[in-house]
Amino acid sequence: MTTLPRTDAAKVAEGADTAHTSTSSGPRSTASAISMRQVGKSYGKVRALDGLDLEVARGEVHGFLGPNGAGKSTTIRILLGILRHDAGRIRLLGEDPWARAVALHRRLAYVPGDVELWPGLTGGEAIDLFARLRGGVDTAKRDELLERFDLDPRKKGRTYSKGNRQKVALISALASDIELLLLDEPTAGLDPLMEAVFQECIREAKAAGRTVLLSSHILAQVEALADRVSIIRAGRIVESGTLSELRHLSRTTITVQIDRDIPALTTMPGVHDLVREGPQLHFSAETAQLPSIIRALGENDIESLTATPPTLEQILLRHYGSRPETEAWS
Amino acid sequence: MNLLARADGPHSGRSARQAPARLPGHHGKHEREPRGRLGAGSLTGLDTMLRFMLRRDRLWLPLWVLGLSALTAYFANAIAVVMDSESLQAMTVFAKNPVMALITGPGYGMDQVTIPRFIVGMYGVFLMLGAALMSILTVSRHTRAEEQSGRAELVRANVTGRHTQLIAALILSVFMNAMVSGFMAVAFQLSEADPEPLSSTLLFTIGIGVLGCVFAAVTAVTVQLSAFSRAASGMAGAVLAISFVVRGVGDMSAVAGGGSGGSGGSEGSGSSVGSGVGDLDWLSWLSPLGWAQQTAPFTLDRWWPLLFPVGLFVLLAGLALTLQTRRDLGAGIMAERLGRAHASPLLTGPLGLAFRLQRSGLLWWSLGLFVMGGIFGSFTGAMDEGAAGMPEEILALMGGRSGIVDGYLGYMALYFAIIVAVYAIIAAGGLRAEEQSFHTEPVLAAAVSRPGWLGSWAAVTLLGSAWLMFLAGLGEGLGAASSMGDWGPLGPTVLGHLAQTASVWALLGFAYLLYGFVPRLMGLSWIVFAGSAVLALFGQMLQLDEAVLDLSIFSHVGQYPAQDLSAEAVLWFIAAGVVFVGLGMAGFRRRDLSTA
Repeated sequence: MTTLPRTDAAKVAEGADTAHTSTSSGPRSTASAISMRQVGKSYGKVRALDGLDLEVARGEVHGFLGPNGAGKSTTIRILLGILRHDAGRIRLLGEDPWARAVALHRRLAYVPGDVELWPGLTGGEAIDLFARLRGGVDTAKRDELLERFDLDPRKKGRTYSKGNRQKVALISALASDIELLLLDEPTAGLDPLMEAVFQECIREAKAAGRTVLLSSHILAQVEALADRVSIIRAGRIVESGTLSELRHLSRTTITVQIDRDIPALTTMPGVHDLVREGPQLHFSAETAQLPSIIRALGENDIESLTATPPTLEQILLRHYGSRPETEAWS
Repeated sequence: MNLLARADGPHSGRSARQAPARLPGHHGKHEREPRGRLGAGSLTGLDTMLRFMLRRDRLWLPLWVLGLSALTAYFANAIAVVMDSESLQAMTVFAKNPVMALITGPGYGMDQVTIPRFIVGMYGVFLMLGAALMSILTVSRHTRAEEQSGRAELVRANVTGRHTQLIAALILSVFMNAMVSGFMAVAFQLSEADPEPLSSTLLFTIGIGVLGCVFAAVTAVTVQLSAFSRAASGMAGAVLAISFVVRGVGDMSAVAGGGSGGSGGSEGSGSSVGSGVGDLDWLSWLSPLGWAQQTAPFTLDRWWPLLFPVGLFVLLAGLALTLQTRRDLGAGIMAERLGRAHASPLLTGPLGLAFRLQRSGLLWWSLGLFVMGGIFGSFTGAMDEGAAGMPEEILALMGGRSGIVDGYLGYMALYFAIIVAVYAIIAAGGLRAEEQSFHTEPVLAAAVSRPGWLGSWAAVTLLGSAWLMFLAGLGEGLGAASSMGDWGPLGPTVLGHLAQTASVWALLGFAYLLYGFVPRLMGLSWIVFAGSAVLALFGQMLQLDEAVLDLSIFSHVGQYPAQDLSAEAVLWFIAAGVVFVGLGMAGFRRRDLSTA
């Protein structure tokens, strides 16, 4: 397990109020939007969350990654006060999500991955209802979103496809004037066109100062939107930081075109999986050792060099397993 | 013979197409059938499907079959043990009462009553209702519920015919009803009731089974009409309710008017003739429940009335298959219309939502109860006149002429309280269904508190049940007033019905208490309800101890205007209902929501 300085800093302080004294810069100088410390939740003997630590700063888009069953939805439902945690401490927008659920829900909107609508209510009615239950609907914004997401609000809930049900929940959430969006795989049923609209809307929400917790399976979406990312595995956060920080922890894939072998590489620290394939040498390099490795390469007559920074997928696979074709991420 | 492993479907299509007519029963082959016909191919996979359904119902099926048989055994043994011939004779006055006819049936053979005749006459209809409900739920669950969930699509994507699921569900329910008939006959034959001859027992139980089959076919049609299993079961349930009321009115008329049916050929009983409702007894012949009862086991022993339900079964099954070929998978015959683009101002808070979700149900119940109240109320006039011609001693036994009318109106208040309690428990169960179908999660994820949501839902059901009792009383009172030409009974009738709301509230409160703490156990409220209803309806007849009768939630308020109202009971029950709901709210705050 790798822990980044940021997460360490979060652990130093016990209260959200004192957290900002331990760090100096960035959006974290205000109290966190979400702060979870050592949170545990069991279903009978199954431990769904096992000492989870999660920090989301105000105003950031935070990617929340992990395969099915890792505890993403449980985490979000605990944040909603729909499930009760057994251990640890949670502050959501500075308050306790279980005790202060109703007051908090006026300040946030939630979109689940599986949206169930009432069969007899139309999409338009459901959008209005949810927004009103939260405290009010911005009709102009709602109509604009209906347009952008291309949804007919007059159809009954039972006639909508999965994607359209999801649009109903998204429009209702995005049309509300709130501080925090909790999105649990919000685009699982959307087509690529709608995915683009969604990304636009999230950028607008961020520009408007909203905080977004985005749990997702779509890595491209997270790479495009997230300021910071947390990776959950078996109920714990195993990695947390900005994408570049995470990349730093991973290895860069390097391909060198050269006829001769480079003996120095075999002994160099930070070089792994060195193989020759015809005229090419392949290896992966620890990002921290990259400067010295490049210097060593420079002393040889290389014809070409390709360095590929780690993709989010590779970062994830470092935690989840083996080869890129692992089914959890396919 | 695995569904997925059957490889000879589409590939053998060419050879099958060359000789389609010669393979009518050969499920292994699959050919393109002409559209709209029940060809061999439309039943492909029937045996596999049937076995699969039996596997899914390995608990459901024995529970229904054994449950209904156990109920038969209970009735038969209890009556046989409790009743000697003397008390049985006394009971016949009760059994020949038009009000009882309304509920139980035409009362064949009550003039020379025997224990089997009594059991058939008084309890047969409840076993029939049980078999009908079993069939409705079984068919709906294996057809429309499967389509609605999308599982039917997976099944149909394999080598299965268009009609396979529907036919398999029908065969399954016919099989279940046959089992019910068989086990019931054994239970009855072995009971203390000592029924003779066996053929009469068989007529009785086969009548019940055939009735069950009719409602399987009714449901096979309604699942074609609506794209949603709840609506489809609801429509079939409405057909059952209409059958019940139609034959109730017919039987009541036959008994009250001494029409040809009621006394089963033997000489007329105490009721007077020519009271105006006597000419409605033909209504009993328009209802499937009526057909099964007109066989009159142990009295007339007629088999031919069963030809009607058998014919109707074939007709409805054919209609269902025709309708099925005319629609797409997952769609209903009834088309979806567009609705409002914006929510109305009413749909704003949790209360508005709770009302909106229960609105259509309440509307149908309102209509049904008002009409039922009106029909039942309009018998009062006939009963009043009938009482005039009764022998003195019987009249005295029933509390005089005004006593009979008041007794009827007071008893109807109890009767409607039991019906409204059914509404109430179903409506309270709706709150759990909301949670289980993940509709509650987004509501609570908005700024709605848990007590607020439970309280809103409870408020709609509490007020809803009071409203329904009021409507039933109003219908009853208007019917009584207009048939007697006297507005006097209207006020007391409405009051008597409204007062009974208190017992419904206590029951409702109990249901919400369970929901708040252990929603899995909400079924317990049905048990409390069933126990209370049986005690209230039959407790006195069974000559049970006063202390036992008092266990019934329905026996405390008082059957006004026949009996005094107990203000104490009314207040206690209302308080209990409210406190229980409050406790339920507190419990709901503490527990996890069931999530996907």
